[in-house]
This record gives sequence, structure tokens and C-alpha cells, in this order.
Amino acid sequence: MNRTASIIIRRLGSLLATLVIMSFIIFMLVEIMPGDVAQMILGQSATEEAVTALREARGLNDPVLQRYGRWIAGVVVGDLGDSVYMQGVAINSILWRRVGHSMVLALTAFLMFVPLSIFFGVLAGVKEKKPTDSIVSFFGLATMALPEFVSGVILISVFAVQLNWFPIVSVIPIGESLFQNLNIVVLPALSITMVMFGYISRMQRSSMIQVMNSDYVRAAILKGMPRKYVIFRHALKNALLPTITIIGMNMGWLFGGLVVVETLFGFPGMGSLLMTAIKTRDVPLIEACVLLITVIYSLSTMVTDIMYSYLNPRIRFQGGQR
Amino acid sequence: MNDNILDINHLQVRFETFDGVFSAVNDVSLSLGHNESIGIIGESGCGKSTLSFAVMKYLANNASVDGSIRFKGEELLEKSEKEMEAFRGNRIAMVFQNPYSSLNPALTIGFQLDEVGIHHQKLSKQKARHATLEALGMMNIGDPQGIVRRYPHQVSGGIQQRICIAMAILCRPDLMILDEPTTALDVTTEAVILDSIKELRAKLSMSLMYISHDMGVINKVAEHVVVMYNGEIVERGPKNQIFENPTHPYTRSLINCMPRGGVVKENTKLNTIPGYVRRRGALESGCPFVDRCEKRNDTCESKYGIREVGERHFAACDRAYATDVPDILKEKLIPRPRTTSLALNSHKELLKIENLHKVYGARRKVYAVNGIDVTVHPESVIGVVGESGCGKSTTGHMVSGLYKPTKGTIMFNGTDISIAWNKRSKDTLKKIQLIFQNPGRSLNPSHTVEQIIARPMKRLANMHNATERRQRIVDMLKKVDLGKEYLEKKPKQLSGGEQQRVAIARALSISPDLIVCDEPTSALDVSVQASVLNLLNDLQLETHAAYMFISHDLNVINYLSDYIMVMYAGKICEYGKRDEVMAPPFHPYTEALLSAMPEVDPTKQKKVIEITGQLPDPAKKPKGCPFAGRCHKQVGEICEREYPPMVRLSDTHYYHCHIKAMVE
Amino acid sequence: MKYVLYQLKKHPLAIVGIIIILFWLIAAFFGPSLVPFTHTQMDSEHQMVGPGTNGHILGTDSLGRDLLARIVYGSRSILTVALMTSIVSTIVGVLLGFSAGYFGGRIDAAFLRSMDILMAIPPLVLSMVVLGILGDSSILSLTLIVSIAFVPATARVSRGVLLTEKSQEYVSAARIRGENHLYIMFVEILPNTTGPIIVEATARFAYSIMMVASLGFLGVGMQPPTPDWGMMVIENKPIIAQAPGAVLFPALAIASLVIAISIFSDFVSKVLIHER
Repeated sequence: MNRTASIIIRRLGSLLATLVIMSFIIFMLVEIMPGDVAQMILGQSATEEAVTALREARGLNDPVLQRYGRWIAGVVVGDLGDSVYMQGVAINSILWRRVGHSMVLALTAFLMFVPLSIFFGVLAGVKEKKPTDSIVSFFGLATMALPEFVSGVILISVFAVQLNWFPIVSVIPIGESLFQNLNIVVLPALSITMVMFGYISRMQRSSMIQVMNSDYVRAAILKGMPRKYVIFRHALKNALLPTITIIGMNMGWLFGGLVVVETLFGFPGMGSLLMTAIKTRDVPLIEACVLLITVIYSLSTMVTDIMYSYLNPRIRFQGGQR
Repeated sequence: MNDNILDINHLQVRFETFDGVFSAVNDVSLSLGHNESIGIIGESGCGKSTLSFAVMKYLANNASVDGSIRFKGEELLEKSEKEMEAFRGNRIAMVFQNPYSSLNPALTIGFQLDEVGIHHQKLSKQKARHATLEALGMMNIGDPQGIVRRYPHQVSGGIQQRICIAMAILCRPDLMILDEPTTALDVTTEAVILDSIKELRAKLSMSLMYISHDMGVINKVAEHVVVMYNGEIVERGPKNQIFENPTHPYTRSLINCMPRGGVVKENTKLNTIPGYVRRRGALESGCPFVDRCEKRNDTCESKYGIREVGERHFAACDRAYATDVPDILKEKLIPRPRTTSLALNSHKELLKIENLHKVYGARRKVYAVNGIDVTVHPESVIGVVGESGCGKSTTGHMVSGLYKPTKGTIMFNGTDISIAWNKRSKDTLKKIQLIFQNPGRSLNPSHTVEQIIARPMKRLANMHNATERRQRIVDMLKKVDLGKEYLEKKPKQLSGGEQQRVAIARALSISPDLIVCDEPTSALDVSVQASVLNLLNDLQLETHAAYMFISHDLNVINYLSDYIMVMYAGKICEYGKRDEVMAPPFHPYTEALLSAMPEVDPTKQKKVIEITGQLPDPAKKPKGCPFAGRCHKQVGEICEREYPPMVRLSDTHYYHCHIKAMVE
Repeated sequence: MKYVLYQLKKHPLAIVGIIIILFWLIAAFFGPSLVPFTHTQMDSEHQMVGPGTNGHILGTDSLGRDLLARIVYGSRSILTVALMTSIVSTIVGVLLGFSAGYFGGRIDAAFLRSMDILMAIPPLVLSMVVLGILGDSSILSLTLIVSIAFVPATARVSRGVLLTEKSQEYVSAARIRGENHLYIMFVEILPNTTGPIIVEATARFAYSIMMVASLGFLGVGMQPPTPDWGMMVIENKPIIAQAPGAVLFPALAIASLVIAISIFSDFVSKVLIHER
């Protein structure tokens, strides 16, 4: 227990350090972006004087470090600044709703691919080199190799264009919430699920095979335990542990996939917002989005790490003998 | 006949691999009566484990099995997987070599034991737990109530193996198969476990099939011996028959190639078997041993077959007593005096170690070596013996420069070398060479033999002329009995013995003054071990290099050393000339170690001094006598409190113990 | 060699994979000269036509550009970038991972720390943001940035294989022979790690294709008029109902290439790593 707590504290500390450095790098990167923010706000027709005045007013002429300090101070108290492109709308007022949408999408996908890939991975691992294994493995390889937008396009052409079950684009009508339009989540979530299913089921399969070939599974079989019992009581617990790490490692692909899928379907989430921000060169919005993605992503890998160390008796009860 | 627990008839196991089909078990027949114990012996790759898994009907998918295995009259090979479940762990139980990996790391020990009773005997949870505690008690495990709540990684290797055995006896099986159960353990632990196996047999009257590569271990637990070579039984019979009248040349070499009690380098050259075990194709026929046998002739193939040579004693060789070739195996040991014996210059000092310490790690400290003082004389062999974790390898590695000592000094020929390799001079690096335990890992697998031997010559001995160097490499290879054709080979193409020869050639190629040998023979089969020991011995006479020979095997140390240093928990227990250390009075630990060494002569049965408990926690700073708490001669509280004083028995012989001091 | 043939016989799927890879390599080299249209030529008579119309083997897009010509031409940039990325990220990864793992201690800690920071942003998001900010992607900038995004992964793999080799005794033997660090790392250790490193590099190749295609799809990949498979998917998505081929064919191109490379990578790992 104590160990787990110390891991949490250590990880939180390092997460904080990572965020500070990360945000600074992003800030610097945006600095070298061609184009002048003030000019952008005022438009191409603005006079030289107006631009200079605005630069002065917004403190854009201050040294980088000073501006970074100002920005980070704002972030700490929850002020992410104003959007440039959307004429000074507070980022807080648009971002959080989008984050919520993305979370719903990610969670839906997560709830689909985790049980699916574990189930089929274990199945393939247990039936190693049998037809079931070949089918699951090939299917996993194929879905893993399809980028989200490719599987998404296929899903659209089948379920949206041909069968007309789901909308081609995932738009929420003005004034309604996502929960009134849950059908728009299905296709994006499915295309994320496909990629993740490929990765995780393959990993689950190989960890299951490894465990099934281990000495302790052999010992359990030679103790006369029935095969099903050996699989569920002896093998599964050990085979699931590495999967937790694998899921954590693949969170990166999940987040990348969110951006792609949201763009493909026009889903009003954080990823498509970031995409718009990049296209419109909306500096504060880019910074806010990237910072948030980093936080959520790091937190989710941290959670998987902690779960791993908590569920692994070898780490939980460390300190070998006696 | 049909009271037999196990009848194996013409059993054949073949594996299909990409190299073709090879046979792992070939035409094996044996039977095991009620309450009988049979020992199966052979070197690695001789099919003894495959045989035991065949009895369990647990073989890989690429295996094909022929013949018959009858257990109490029932044909096991015809049973389905489902039907086998009723036998496994219930009527036939098995214990494996590596207890650590055989226990499930994610389940508590209690759970893993309980499930056997719950399953096979349909016990309730409470009753199963009761049976578990009883079985653990039978294996002399202290605090069974506490053990059941632990996870396997929380107990030591010896306890883990005792748990595995307790698990095997839960259902009172008719047959217990033990596959090298003590090979991964220390001798003192091994002795305790072998003893409890004996006790169990007396109590539970079950049949035993014990697999081992060690004649001494077989001698302790078995009444019948089966000798296997390359998948075939070459000889079987009652233990005394086999040990006293071995018939097959392989059995004879196996018994005679081990250095054992009383055999020392001055008067004996060890017997060896040329060559190594080759994997046998399915279509090969005739005697499997023929390519390594000194008595082979044209009839070996045609007349091959097992026949009775004595009462219940069978052997597969009719040339065993042929007289047309000199029988070098006739005598158990052939005295071959060493031509010269090096004069021991006990006043000269080659290496002087003072107050040497090594602590690993920064936060979690491991006290590996805790202050040792020793002197190595030029041209002599010092044997360093002790069990795993005693700091013997660490000491050797500090001498050779792999690690820097935490405290203390190492003087070599008058220069201070208590520094790591990156600070040592070329000359020091050249003068001290290290031979590792595992030759497969100490030779770079992607370099050729020539590159491997040439590199130190180029770097340390300034031999830059390629043709000269090659000539010297060929000479060196010849010295270690390898031909020119080995130059272009890579380590993977060599057998373990050949690899170790290359490693020896590499070490000797630049004429060092001191060679640290870190368990150089413990990864090798016994027949190969003998030839490597002979080679090391001969080369020492020739090159006059001093050896620091590190081993856990007291017989090997006794054979090769001039001086012996016994280590325990990072300290020296006893030091002296070989004959002084090997004869009483002993340090209690030396005495326990000697008593635990398995004996091969069945007529000699000695009393084992059982030491219980575990090594002191290496993460704590040592205090008092490290052996206190496990010592059978502990004098009192003083042992735990104070480090024992040195008891000097002669100029060269001393040990650290409170006993003598108390008497005086 | 004999072993490779044996494995090929056991895994016929690998042969299919190799054939597909070869097909795309040949297409990239010679394809553009074999197709009767260029990738920018607009056939205003035949816009959004299906396969086989007027010599357009795969049909045309909304501007009447020949899909086959665009796909074949587009294979050049994606193959170049992906191949270079997998090579660059592997080499940089080996250099970084080896030095960190070999020297250990503070160097290793600093390495792990900086990789953690780089990994705090998902690789696709990282490349997308950077490329978006820089604008006007070229083969060079794509290669560079995707490589940077991949380096944490390749460096960690390299560090891992180095650590397993480092504990081998031949490394100790080299040390007490007084060899210098570079010799130990690259003459002693490197030859024994080629298996896992090559496997990682081929796997990276597949990831690179996916990544470059996704970036193209997001509009931060190769810029027009150079055709980009990913971009073709998004720009033709509005006409998916009228001309499904305009979307499906580039998507299929990506899928076939990535699947083929993944199969190949699986096979390589079977041959190189499970050899013994």
C-alpha cells in the first residue's frame, strides 16, 4: 500500500516537471511560427499604427520569458487566454465542452476495445496455432494496419452511405447536447476501436502464449488441474498484467486517433478543435489544446502504471525473503 | 510382475524440428515396483526429462510417442487429456528443477496447495487447508500458518522447493517424479531436502523416480539406477551393482571422471570422455555412445542391444570386457603422477588483499564482501569455495578489475590495484586474466575464434604482426586440444567444452601471472568438466601462472588447489593449505559443507550435518559471526554479538571461530 | 538462408506480404511512366467517373484527375518519407539508447527524463502541431519531424536490447581487456543486437506509413500539387457517394502497404529473434 502511495507521489511530481518543460517547448515553438498575431487579429487591412498599438497593449513586445511567465500564471489560475481567430472569445468557454465530447468518444471506444481485444487475444493465445488463432491474428493484423481514417472511410461507405444507419458527419445541432445525439459517436468510436483492437489483441495473445508456456502453468497442468481452471485461475491473472502496460503505452495512439477521427467525421471534440486552431494559426488555442492533451495523456499513462504496480504482488510486497 | 507401479516398454519419443526428426527417447524399457526408488542419470540432452514428461503424457505438439507406459496396469498413452487429470498430481506427482518459476507468482502459496486437495479429493476449503498445513509440516517448514499467506517470491529457494514437494505429497501419490529438484540449490540446502525426501518415503511408502546428472545425489536417494545416454538406456540395475561393477564404458567414465574425496592433482589425472553429446537423428541405429567410446569396433553396430550381465543388472555393451584394446577404464582411478610439482614459495607474495569490502547499490545496500585479508603466492592455486551469495565471485571480480572495491587494498606485485579496469595500466590488465563461468556468454557470439583470441594479443601484448599472431593462436589452440579448423568458427558452432577451451586459450595467450577462474566448469557436463580440469592443471604446470579458482564444488576445489579459502557471507571462515583445510579440526561451516557433499561410493554413508535457516540478510550490515544462528556448534550468545577471533592452527592455517577461544 | 526458406514455407502469408511490398516499390520507380496520364492532368470531360472510363483504369476525382496516376505518383513521397524515417529514427534511437544504457547512472536518468517529456505528447499530435506551425511540409521536414516523434520509442527499444547484452560476460571480458567505450558498444555489442533492431526498424516502417498517411489526411503532409494518399481520402470524401473509388482506392493503397509491411515485419521477427 505504502509503495503504491509513494509511486503516485513520485509520478505526480515528475508529471508536473514534464508539464512545465513541455509547455515551455510548445510556447517557444509557437514563437517561431510565421505570421504576426496582432496582424492576424486586426486583419490584413489594418494600419501599421493599429498593429503596433495592439502589440503594445497585449504585451507582445515583451521578452519571451516574461510572456511565458504571464501565460503560465494564467494557466495556473485556470485562465487559458482568449482565442485569436474567434475574435477574443475566452478559450475556457469553448474548450471544455469540446473536451467533454472527446472524453465521451474516447471512453466509448475504450469500453469497446478493451474487453474485445482482451477476450479475443486470450482466445487466440489459448488456441495457439489453431484456426481460431489464425483468424483472430490475421484480423488483428489487418485492423491494426488500417489508419483510423481508412477504417473510418470504410465504415462511412458501408454504414452511412450504403445502409444509412448513421450520419456521414457527426454534427450536433445547435442548442442540443451530445447526449441527445449519441448516434454520432458510434462510427468514430468504431474506427478507433478497430486500430486499438489490432494492437492490444496481438499483445494479449503473445503474453497469453508466454504465460501458457511458463513453468508454473506446466506445473499446474501436471498437478492435474483441468485446462479451463488453469487458464482462468493460473494463467489469466499473469497474462493480464502486461496488458495494462500495453494499454497505457497505446494511449498515445488513441489520442492521435481521436484527432484523425474527429477531423474525418467533423466530430466537435478537442482534436478537431486543435486541427482548426492549427489551420487558423490560433496561437493561444493551440497552446491550450496541446497542454490539455498532454495532461490527460500523462494522467492516463500514470493511472495504468499505478494499476500495474498495485495488481502485481511482486511489486506490492517487495523485499524478497522472509 | 504386475504389482509394479510403473512399466515402460519400448518407449520411443521423437521430435520433429526444422533440422529433421530426432529421437529424444529411444526404445526405453524399465519397471518400477511398489515403494521402490529409481534414479535416472545422464548428462544434459540425454532424454531423461523427456522420459519423465512422457510418463505424465505432457509433451510438445511436435512429439510423437510409441510403445507403452503402464501405471498400475493402466495404459497411460491411451488416456485422453481429461482422463490424465485424475492421475497428474493425484496418483503421479512431479517436482521440477526450478522451484521459483514453477510456483505461480500471482497466487498465494496456500491457494496453490489447497487447490490440489480441493480438486482431487473434493475436500472443503477448511479441510484442504488443514491437509496443506500438515504437508508443509511434514517437509519441516517452520511457521506453516504464515507461509500459506505469502507469495512465492517472498520465501527462499530452498523453502520454495520444499513447498513444491509438499504440494506433490498432498494426495499421497503412488509415484513421485523428481526432475533435478536440487540442481538449482546450494549443497547444504540440497542435503536437507534429500534427507526429507528419504523421510517422506519411509512415512508414505511411495515409489520414486529421481532424475539427476549427479551420481552422488542418485546414490543418496535411489535403490536402482538407470544410466541414459542420448535417449537410450545403456545400463540399469541395483545401485550397488552399478557403482561397484559398472559395465558400460559410459557408466564407467561417468563414475570415474568426477574428482572426489581424496583425489588430488598431485597423484591423479582425471578420466575423461572425448567429444560431447550429439543430438541423434531418428534413423541412426547402433550404439549411441560409439563416437565417444574408446573400445568401439566394427561389431558395435551389429551386435548392439541390451542384455543381462548380472542379477537384475542390464547393460547395452558386449565389448565392455574386451581385451584387444588397453582398458584405461578398468581401474576406478588411474594414478598418473604429475611430471613436475611446482615448489610452493610461501614467502613470496603475488597478490595481497587487505580488509577488502564491497557494498553494492546506493539506496538498497547489499553487503557482498565484508573485509577479507588473504595472500596469493606466485605459481600456486588458491581455491575459493562457498555457497551462492558468499561473495566469492565478487572477490574474484574485484581482483580482475570488474568492480572497484568499496574499501581495502589489493596489492599485485607491489602495485596498488584496488581500482577498476578503466584506471588500470595495460600491464596489470595483461597480467591478470579472468575465465568466466559461462563460456557461451563470455565469448562474443558474432566474432570468430581467431578474432576472440587475437584481440587481447593486439591490445595488451602489442602483437601487431598478423602472421606471427596467427601462428601463436594456432599454437594456443593446439595447447587446448583444438585444431586449426577452429580459427574461423563462431562460438555457437562449438560445444560447451570447446567454448571453454577457447576462453582458456584467450586468457593464456598473453602469458598472465594470475588467472581468476570463476566457476569455469560448473556450466559443463561432468565428462567435459574433467577434461577442462585436466587441461587447467597441465597448463598451470607449463605456464607457472597462479590460479584463483572459484567454485561451489568442494571436490573440484580439493582436486585442483594448493590453498583453500572457505567463504561465508562475505567473510573468510577458514584458510590454509589444502590438506590442512580438508582434515579436522574444522571450522563448523567447513565441516557442514564437507558433510553435505554427495558421496558416490555407496559403501560410504556419512552423517549429514543439517544446517537450517538462511544466509544473513545481505542488506544489513553484518554483526557477530555470520554463521551464527545456523551453526550446529554455536557456543552461545557471544556468536551473535561479536565477530569471532582468528584461531591460528599453523603458519598457514587459521579459522575464525569462538569455540577454540572459549576452550583456552 | 536455408532457415529463411523453411520459415517462408511455413508462413505463406509472408510471401504475399513481400510481393505487395515489391509491387509498390516497382510502382514508385516505374509507375508514373507507365500510366497514360500525369497526376495533375485534368480530364474535364470525365470528372468523378468510375473505373475503366476513357482509359482511366481506376476512374477520376472531382477535377477529372486520373486516380491511378495520382496513387502511383503519391507512392513515391510516402515510401521515401517512411523509409527515411524508419532509418533515421532507428539510427538516432540506437545512438541515444545505446549511450544511455551503456553509461547508465546520470546520463541514463537524463535520457529517460527527456524521453518522458517527448513522450508526454502523443507522436501524431506532436508531429501534427509542429508541422502545422512550420507550414509547407516537404519530404525533408516530414522525415525530420516524424523521426523525432518516433525516437523515444526506438531509443527505448535500443536501450532495452543493449541492457540485456550489457550483462553478458563477453562485455565484462572486453572491459578488463581495457577496450574503450566506443569499441565495446559498436564492435562488441552492436553485432549481437542487429536482430531486434532490424525487427524494430521494419515495424517502424509500417508505423511511419500510417503516420505519414494520417498527417497527409490532416492536411499537414505533402502539399499540393504533389498527390498524397491521405489527403486524397479527405479531399474526395465529399464525393464518396458519387465516386466511392476516389476515396476507397487511396485508402486501399495505404491499407495494402501497411498490412504487407506488418506481415513482413512479423516474419522478420520470427526469423531473426526466435531463431534459436
